[in-house]
Amino acid sequence: MSYWNRVLHDARRREAYTKFVRTQDAGLGAFLEFDPARRLDPPLAEHADPGDVSYAGSVSRARSRGAAAGGETPESALAGVPFAVKDNIAVAGFNLTCASRILEELQSPYTATAVRRMEAAGARVVGKTNLDEFGMGSSTDNSALGVTHNPYDHTRVAGGSSGGSAAAVAAGLVPVALGSDTGGSVRQPASFCGVYGLKPTYGAVSRYGLVAFASSLDVVGVCARELSPLQAVFNVIRGLDERDHTSQEPVSGPSAKVSVVGVLTGLQGLDPAVRAAYERTVEYLQGLGYALREVELSTLKYVVPAYYTIATAEASANLARYNGVRYGLRPERAENPDELVRIARDEGLGPEVKLRILLGTYVLRSGFQDQYYLRAQRIRTAIRNELARAFDNVQAILTPTVPVLPFAHGEGELTAFQQKLADIFTATASLAGIPALSVPCESTTGGLPVGMQLLAPAFAEERLFAVAGRLAEAAGERGLVARPENYPPLPDWAAAKGYELDWS
Amino acid sequence: MYQSFIGLEIHIQLLTRTKVFCGCRSAFGEEPNTNVCPVCLGYPGVLPTLNAEAIRMAYVVARTLNCELAEYSLFERKNYYYPDLPKNYQISQYAAPLGRGGYLDIEFHGKRKRVGIHEVHLEEDAGKMIHAGDMSLLDYNRAGTPLLEIVTEPDMEIGDEAELLLQQFRRMVRYLGVCDGNMEEGSMRCDANVSVNRHGQGLGSKVEIKNLNSSRFVRKALNHEIARQEEILSHGGTIPQETRLWNENRDLTETMRTKESAHDYRYFPEPDLPPFTTTAQFLGAVEASLVELPLERRDRFIEQYDLATHQADFLTEERPLADYFEAAVEHGAEAHAAATWLAADVRKMLNRRRIEVQDSPLTPKRLAELLQLLAESRIHGKIAKQTLGEIFETGRDPLEIIRENGWEQITDPATLSEYVDQVLARHPKAVQQVRDGDSKPIGFLVGQVMKASSGRAEPRAVQELIIAKLELKVVQVLSFGGAISGVRRADGLVEPGDLVSLGELFAQDGFADSVRFDELHLGRFLSEEITPQDWAILLSEVASRLQTGAADGIVIAHGTDTLSYTASLLYWCFADTSAPIVLTASVLPHDKPGEEPHPHSDALRNLKAAVRKAMSGEPGVHVIYGDADFSPLNLKFEGLLPFSAPSRAHEAAGRKGAVGDRGAAESAAAGALSLGRFRNWNMESPVYRGRPISREIGELPRAELTRKLEQAVRSVFIAKVFPGMQGDTLIALMNAGVRYFILELFDTGTANLRETPYSLRKAFQHGEQAGALFFCTSQQEIAVDFSEYVTGHELWREGAIPMGRLTTESVYTRLLAALMVAENDDELVKLMED
Repeated sequence: MSYWNRVLHDARRREAYTKFVRTQDAGLGAFLEFDPARRLDPPLAEHADPGDVSYAGSVSRARSRGAAAGGETPESALAGVPFAVKDNIAVAGFNLTCASRILEELQSPYTATAVRRMEAAGARVVGKTNLDEFGMGSSTDNSALGVTHNPYDHTRVAGGSSGGSAAAVAAGLVPVALGSDTGGSVRQPASFCGVYGLKPTYGAVSRYGLVAFASSLDVVGVCARELSPLQAVFNVIRGLDERDHTSQEPVSGPSAKVSVVGVLTGLQGLDPAVRAAYERTVEYLQGLGYALREVELSTLKYVVPAYYTIATAEASANLARYNGVRYGLRPERAENPDELVRIARDEGLGPEVKLRILLGTYVLRSGFQDQYYLRAQRIRTAIRNELARAFDNVQAILTPTVPVLPFAHGEGELTAFQQKLADIFTATASLAGIPALSVPCESTTGGLPVGMQLLAPAFAEERLFAVAGRLAEAAGERGLVARPENYPPLPDWAAAKGYELDWS
Repeated sequence: MYQSFIGLEIHIQLLTRTKVFCGCRSAFGEEPNTNVCPVCLGYPGVLPTLNAEAIRMAYVVARTLNCELAEYSLFERKNYYYPDLPKNYQISQYAAPLGRGGYLDIEFHGKRKRVGIHEVHLEEDAGKMIHAGDMSLLDYNRAGTPLLEIVTEPDMEIGDEAELLLQQFRRMVRYLGVCDGNMEEGSMRCDANVSVNRHGQGLGSKVEIKNLNSSRFVRKALNHEIARQEEILSHGGTIPQETRLWNENRDLTETMRTKESAHDYRYFPEPDLPPFTTTAQFLGAVEASLVELPLERRDRFIEQYDLATHQADFLTEERPLADYFEAAVEHGAEAHAAATWLAADVRKMLNRRRIEVQDSPLTPKRLAELLQLLAESRIHGKIAKQTLGEIFETGRDPLEIIRENGWEQITDPATLSEYVDQVLARHPKAVQQVRDGDSKPIGFLVGQVMKASSGRAEPRAVQELIIAKLELKVVQVLSFGGAISGVRRADGLVEPGDLVSLGELFAQDGFADSVRFDELHLGRFLSEEITPQDWAILLSEVASRLQTGAADGIVIAHGTDTLSYTASLLYWCFADTSAPIVLTASVLPHDKPGEEPHPHSDALRNLKAAVRKAMSGEPGVHVIYGDADFSPLNLKFEGLLPFSAPSRAHEAAGRKGAVGDRGAAESAAAGALSLGRFRNWNMESPVYRGRPISREIGELPRAELTRKLEQAVRSVFIAKVFPGMQGDTLIALMNAGVRYFILELFDTGTANLRETPYSLRKAFQHGEQAGALFFCTSQQEIAVDFSEYVTGHELWREGAIPMGRLTTESVYTRLLAALMVAENDDELVKLMED
């Protein structure tokens, strides 16, 4: 960590760092925009506070944590640390493309709460990372604006939709990156890229500034190579935000202590390498002294259909605002407002996005809601209840993050439909709104990383960190977290290039 | 017969400082796209935050509409595409709106109705798209303004009710301070749903009408639409479910879209906003925001301050004025005076300066002070008006202004007494005239005192002093035609006569000097020859006698045939008189010239009874006939018996019946004569006193009074419906200038409305175009309330105004009185229905 605090310290180091990232990213494609200088001195109040837009609800609301709160102290672990932000999270001065043609030219007029909190703690945005268009995908191949490779194997995908963030972290370009997770979009690429990926409890982190895909599922998540900066970031960005009525202060209560870990029974359709990694992780846990208890999730088979029904339904409304009228891609000429909107959408949105909007529109039609949307909501409740019951007996649950290994670009290895089916474990946590952490595990097959997912009850993120910490200690001796061979760390790279980096 | 069902969807913009889901200012009429931010422009990544003020106001409205308040209300997304809608969905409420199952009471022409409120929900407004040439321009200042939608049940039947509900609702939200209710600027909007079906078959196809920019258009569009649908149905057609637009230039509705092209809004819960849950603290704040509503306040004003309905209506129309009025009363202003001044002189001042009363230099305290000075006679009316002007001019206190200008009147009795004594001494001739029973010189004497005191003596005190010094305590008897003051000619016919000669007979009867007979110089006439001018003279004579205090009681000798008109007219003008006004009449004149008094004549007897009543000091307007004291209202002259058969009169008088018979029965028991038969219809107990239509009528100059009465009479027609009556006849009358019909209907209010030449419907419809009004009475002794029959209900639907228990004669004179003071038809109807 120590050198990350100083990478941006002065012009010389910044230049070296910039050169490092540009060189490394040339073949990787993690960033859509990279400019460490742009927000070195972020305006701390970018627009006026919401004023009297205070919530009168029954929930007692803490005072807004503005830029000043939790302020920038020299001791802050994040002081001076560069971080990357997925390009569906707003940062004033940077684009907010969502990897879509329709927003390709859009500069964000404001900054997301999570980003403002990071900056208030001293961290600095250095760039925006690639993603599947509007977060819709598991490969980042659905980006209209660039290709991102898996740092371990450039023929393979980095995962998605936060593929850019995970790849940038895995390649050592930034120590941490913000991503977004709707059904696994932080955890799945984290698993594919061999880094930690946290999806916090729904509502633990403000969504203000996160471009909505499916509002009841979306959370701002964190990718990091190591656990401690990930925790530091989470502690900074979490908490109530006046601008997000679904945000909350952590519920007090859930103890951080974990003694019994749930293990899934009846797992089917796992890649043998994933199964092996899962079993080995279970052994590690046992070796670390955790009691194990089998957990059966009968609702698991309904997760993917329910997830896609709800997510596309919400997406169909959330994406309706992109019409080329107020911002974004607008045709040169149109006969009338209707035509203007039609052309903007036709040219501006990619096929996966169109597919999901159509699906969502379909499931919300009047007369069909009971069959699709409301049914999916009932399933969601059942899943949440089943998990709640499971947590009566265990403090955390271990699942694979993804049932498959990082797959090749294109649909040759895994079709778009199969990619959706692979959301099964991650989407479970999303539907239940509970926190989940993808932990990088020993890579066993052809040097490709595998991640394991830990689940905990709402607002019990500490349990995830506790178990992951123990696993990291245990694995540290065995080198659990590998570094992709072609990405030397910044000091090594600098030394090789003849740059003198003075860290004193 | 058809039935119509009307429901309204009303939108109001809430007067919050900021928008409903962001911190932008919520303001009307500013530079386009200046009150916008990423949230209300629908930028990617923004989230709505619920405005506490908006949700409180929303619950306050729902509470005031008697809704069940949702403990848990849900926001949902209503999906539709339109360029002025930034997110292309509107945050609204659907499955769990904040208020449900409320009601609002309205009353149209006597029919009170509870209109159900289906639901109240909060949502956001859209921006505005303006098409200019080949461009479309968008202004998002309005986008995100809090909008409250109120949906009524289809409980209304005619456009007039919808208009009334809307007006009442508008007043309500203005009182609550949650909306300015401006329909032209769109801060209050209304769509109407109407469905017409054959009677008893329930709701028909729903047709929605849009583009209704005023409550008047709501009424017109609905009445047009109901007629259109009835027309189609009556020709065997069907009504498609559709949305129609009101075309205000052509006064008709046009198809906008049919059901097939209706939106599917794909509602689903808004994931960005948690359900709103009420807390005890929140509900406490809602309760604290409730105010006394216009109607409650109006009723309280009538009750507490003894105001007329139209006065209370005026005062409570806007909350600041009502507050102002009560503040003035609290500071000591007399309520009536305050109401009168606010409605007249103060209003004029405010209009001229284009300011509201609460912003004017005339504070409630200053008005109270001014009115007190006037009440204490320290200034007179003219000075008070001058002082009012000065207050507006200089913003100083009335007392200060009066002192500085030396405007204060002399009220000290000792000083005034000196002036009066001097004047009386100087004008012995005038004094003698007054002592001889002519009250006119009193005014002259007052004028002399005023002159002597350089205008500073207080006139009323001066007048009282003169009357006291001359010891005038008199009953004045006015002759107003009729057999009572008539003479029978040699050929046996009665002609106008001389009451004074009759009065001479009083002397022997021990009536004191204080009974004075006054011919009104009306010429000799019979009561059937009464003209508006005669009434004008009578009214102003009575008024001046009441005003000068020159009479402790007034007796009017009248003919029997039109007595019920004059009696009720006097009531509508002087119902609050403290000196008795007594009308009397006789069937036979006292005598033939040069002969013995007629043995059966009731003239002298009735006149004496009337004078006794006048001397009794019992306030109010009375009709003395036989031994009975009839009410001046609802008096019916039911019969006239030939003097040769008095026994039949006894029989008739002994008949059991309404109150008026009581007197007849008593007189029969006493063996007295009662040759005519009067009766009060529809009365359980007699009414002599009450509130006049207006206190101003008697004070009008005689010429103006005459002119107004003549004008009023010309515009009125009394029509008794009869089998075979044709609507066209009434239309011809309208074309001849009649604007106000008194329809004497059958029963509780029925007439022929079936589609034949004999239907009156055409006349009503023509009347609506021509601005005619129909006041309905009955040919029978029964209250008209349109309650009993389908045809009565149809009449109500056509806008006919039921006059309840009042008889045709009383309604006619009431209408004349109302026409003399009402400034427009709205006010007129209020005065009639009061």
